[in-house]
Amino acid sequence: MSTATSTPSTSLAELRRHGAVRPKMAGFHRPRASTLAACAFVAPLVVYLVVFYAFPLMQNVAMSLQRYDRGTFVNGGAPFVGLDIYREILGQPKFWRVVGQTATFTIVSITVQYVVGLALAVFFQNSFRLSATLRAMFLVPWLLPVIVSGTTWQWMMNPDNGVLNSLVGLFGVDPVWWLNADHALMSVIIANIWLGIPFNLVILYSGLQNIPTELYEAAAIDGAGAWRRFWSVTVPLLRPVSLITLLLGLVYTLKVVDIIWIMTMGTGTSQTLATWSYAMAFGKGTSGVIKYSEASVVGTILLVVALIFGLVYIAVQRKQED
Amino acid sequence: MRNMSPRRAATIGMVFAAATSLAACSGGSAPEPTSSGNAAEGATTSEITFWDPYPQRADGSEWDKLVKSCAPAGATLVRSSAPQSDLFNQLTTAVKEGNAPDIVVLDNPMMPEAVSAGLLATAQQASIDTNGIDENLLGPGLVDGVAYGVPFGSNALGLYYNKDVLSKAGVDPASVTDWDSLNAAIEKVVASGAKGITFSGVAGEEGVFQFLPWFWGAGADLSDIGSAEAVSAGQLVSDWIGKGWAPRSAATDNQSASWDLFLTGEYGFAENGSWFASAAAETKGFTTAVLPIPGKDSAVAPVPTGGEFAVAPIQGTDDSNHYANASAVISCLTSGDVAVTTNETLGYLSAKPDVRGQQVADNPLWKPWVGAIEGAKGRTTELGPKYVDVSAALSEAIQGALNAAGDGVDVSAAFKDAAVN
Repeated sequence: MSTATSTPSTSLAELRRHGAVRPKMAGFHRPRASTLAACAFVAPLVVYLVVFYAFPLMQNVAMSLQRYDRGTFVNGGAPFVGLDIYREILGQPKFWRVVGQTATFTIVSITVQYVVGLALAVFFQNSFRLSATLRAMFLVPWLLPVIVSGTTWQWMMNPDNGVLNSLVGLFGVDPVWWLNADHALMSVIIANIWLGIPFNLVILYSGLQNIPTELYEAAAIDGAGAWRRFWSVTVPLLRPVSLITLLLGLVYTLKVVDIIWIMTMGTGTSQTLATWSYAMAFGKGTSGVIKYSEASVVGTILLVVALIFGLVYIAVQRKQED
Repeated sequence: MRNMSPRRAATIGMVFAAATSLAACSGGSAPEPTSSGNAAEGATTSEITFWDPYPQRADGSEWDKLVKSCAPAGATLVRSSAPQSDLFNQLTTAVKEGNAPDIVVLDNPMMPEAVSAGLLATAQQASIDTNGIDENLLGPGLVDGVAYGVPFGSNALGLYYNKDVLSKAGVDPASVTDWDSLNAAIEKVVASGAKGITFSGVAGEEGVFQFLPWFWGAGADLSDIGSAEAVSAGQLVSDWIGKGWAPRSAATDNQSASWDLFLTGEYGFAENGSWFASAAAETKGFTTAVLPIPGKDSAVAPVPTGGEFAVAPIQGTDDSNHYANASAVISCLTSGDVAVTTNETLGYLSAKPDVRGQQVADNPLWKPWVGAIEGAKGRTTELGPKYVDVSAALSEAIQGALNAAGDGVDVSAAFKDAAVN
């Protein structure tokens, strides 16, 4: 990415990268035609970023600092209240309960998704007959519209005549009221894990393809068993791919609304920061009143959390490269 | 992407700075909606926009044809639909941007909030005739004595029953005259091997709508949702779940899902709306009839008024012309013979007694519903725009009560907690 300070010549840029040449401040005062051309090339991207990313984000933050209701949203005049709404939200016992539920939802979901995804990826690594077909079938949860899979899970979890209760009944377990307030979190986690396994499987499987087979052969010749090969070859070489899988999974899972909303509308323990924000922003579910500012506050908090994990990812990656 | 150079950081900084300035200048650009304009001073335009909350009525459906036939000569009517709460949000944004549709059909409990947010023109401005409308049905659209829009008609809730299941269980429907006799009837139905009752307790306004007949029937009042009467209504529905008389999925079923359960023919009773009256007359494999919903100690509990208002939103420009459009289309839909067609198409009973009388004379299916609609209470009549807050709290309480599955302590706590918030 180039800015007004950059000089056009490739060789010069290369030299500078090696610390041989310092950027000339003179370039600032009299931009050359090629510098302007460079800016022109960058401009579309910058405009795109500003209009579609930076501007909505700024609006979101701005909304969280003003007290909006439907009237002031339409006619303007929402008073600026600083961090008052943040204090109100953070002061609610409900907020911390929802944070706990969001953490449980996210951590349990991505852990199980990753472990099962990795197990399946290793399983499919040994190509066998129909392995490609089977692998394709594992992608089904990814391909189905969430409205379809969410509704299907809701049916399967019907407390009176759902198939899931018939199944646990075979093991002598009493029927479970899956979607009631206490069990709702567990139920949406189950459905979300099912949804997320294909993503983990695909990424980890492609990561496994990049590990040279010679390493496994060499390890086998040295007398390493399957378990040892997994821990000493697969796991370390898969670390970069694992890292990105987990990070992307984390960000995706933090912001999940659809599957939870379709199954429970965020009632009971299944309320997460994302569904809470959605409910308040659009006046849906039990939150019948539209709360623009409160929704923006929760949205901003979610954003900051995601950003922190993004920075953690960059830091860890840099450490790995060193 | 690997290393964040100082230069890269500077670029990001620039992007954010640009965004801030962009955000700063966008504030004042939206047109300020005005409350000026009068239909009498305007003329209808060649294109009229019409929004309604009936996405299930597609292009080419009876309703679609009816609405389009009401466009004045030479004008084309463009109709679009979205579910209730989405429609309200879209209307909010459209008024803010100054490009609201000419006519919106808005759910009645949203009326006070829409008025207080400054989204709607008065009925007088838009020349909407509200004469002859029943007071209880017009109530939600009256704010400080000023009318905003007009209801086409109304629907109401009733207690459908499966005649075959009841006769097999030896239950006489006429014996259901209060909660005790209803519970006795359900118990007999369940003892005969059938299932008890379906209703919708889904989170949100829909579940509250279904709960209000029990709430009001207990003598509870929306100004105090933590009262002993409110708790007794919660206990009633909670016990049905706890005893297995009602499906536990009631906590997540909407009214259509709850109706589908009744259509299986396994249930004795179903609380549902008059919009299913014609579907109920054509059920396969069993016959149905309908009772008024009983109160705790009375045969008929007040039910909430259901149905929508036709309104004219505030416009950014050319408001008089837009109001003239609204006036023309709404008066077409609500007067003369078309008024009957409008209500029959929607499955509603008219908000005007004379039109309603004609509907009942033409179609005996409506007979049992007249009393319910004439005795119905507006949800927002007492509380105005505050109703939405109370409804949200009541929805939490209902969810808590259904989850308690009969546990009296939990039911009571759910309502007490909701009353505090």
